[in-house]
Amino acid sequence: MLTLTSPVDTPLHRLPAGGKLAVLALFTAGLFWITSPLWLTLSLAAVLLLHGLGGAAFARHGLLLLRPLWPFVAVVGLWHLWTGDGIAGISIILRMLAAVAAANLVTMTTRLSDMIAVLETIALPLRPVLPPRRLALAIALVIRFVPVMSERLAQIAEAFRARSPRRAGWRIVAPAALAALDDAERVADALRARGGTE
Amino acid sequence: MPLASPFSDDGILLQDASVAFSGRRVLHGMSLHLTEHRIGIIGRNGSGKSTLLRLIAGLIAPDAGHVRVDGIDPAKDRRKMLTRLGILFQNPDHQILFPTVEEELAFGLIQMGADKAKATAQARARLAAEGRAHWAGAAVSTLSQGQRHWLCLQAILLMGPATILLDEPLAGLDLPMQARLARAFATLPQRLITITHDPASVSDADRVIWLEAGKVHADGPPGDVLPEFVSTMDQLGMSDADADLSG
Repeated sequence: MLTLTSPVDTPLHRLPAGGKLAVLALFTAGLFWITSPLWLTLSLAAVLLLHGLGGAAFARHGLLLLRPLWPFVAVVGLWHLWTGDGIAGISIILRMLAAVAAANLVTMTTRLSDMIAVLETIALPLRPVLPPRRLALAIALVIRFVPVMSERLAQIAEAFRARSPRRAGWRIVAPAALAALDDAERVADALRARGGTE
Repeated sequence: MPLASPFSDDGILLQDASVAFSGRRVLHGMSLHLTEHRIGIIGRNGSGKSTLLRLIAGLIAPDAGHVRVDGIDPAKDRRKMLTRLGILFQNPDHQILFPTVEEELAFGLIQMGADKAKATAQARARLAAEGRAHWAGAAVSTLSQGQRHWLCLQAILLMGPATILLDEPLAGLDLPMQARLARAFATLPQRLITITHDPASVSDADRVIWLEAGKVHADGPPGDVLPEFVSTMDQLGMSDADADLSG
């Protein structure tokens, strides 16, 4: 689900979102400059220490968020063992872990609305083509309706399974797309009912 | 009932309003002047109730005739309509537009011209006043069905409309939730227009309008309209009249 901001209040929560994103960008770019495994290890350690600022539960949650990376770690590790270039493999893995952990940290300590506000500011030059308010609304709608649509998809899959011995699979793509359009129409009504996008 | 002039700015006025979808008439020359405090609109599925709601709310424009809410054309002047009329949709998931509670509450205020900081402060103050200050940053997807209904109602109330349209407000809710919401509605100072197929939920209304096939079939106090509605629905229920296709 898309409630990524941690409810645990850390000192990092109080830093401005724009600053955190800028530091994150610099840090990640920096990771690609560094080649020494020692310095990469130190970078990763620094990120993990910052996780520690939020206490044990917060740090544990941060580590859990790294779990989806393990297939990449395994593939990169095995490949480099195969080619006999273990050091390069370790560098890549450390770099990846540090970059993703840092990005997760910013996500966990920044409210979504602040993140969107930064995006709105960055998108200011696009104003004639894309009014920032509309961009922000679009982002909010996506975040709001991803869980709603996945629920809708699950309902359709269940309706299929209720009357079929087979799994639903690709067969529900068309009905799901139509349901999404139908929902979109109702949401448009709700938006219009409260003043539209003007 | 005397029909007021089109320039009356009190209440909701429909004059000979018709709506058709791809050539098929859904509402036929509807003329109504709604000024009562509690109004019920009842009818079967497909009787045109929801179309009437959308017409009054200005979500669709009439193909003929006209609609005025306090003298304003609801389909044209959307901004002015926001303080006049709010809609509570049947399914909260079709109404909630934002991922968090406070954004959802603040949106209507921003639409009405408040700046973001002020709107957010007002939303939080409302939550605090209702003993739900801790909801502010909560994700709407984590709320229960009843909590979502509550949020939808608050989002509308914050905008301070004079009239609220309720579309089957109690359908699909469990009994405690129905009782709670019905009680919340009863205390509202706003004019309420309830659209429903359930006669019991409009038995306390000041006026009940019974729609049948896109026309007003009966119009009057609930004591006059509801008994006939109930007996007609019972009779229809006895027969197997459900084989006709519309169109």
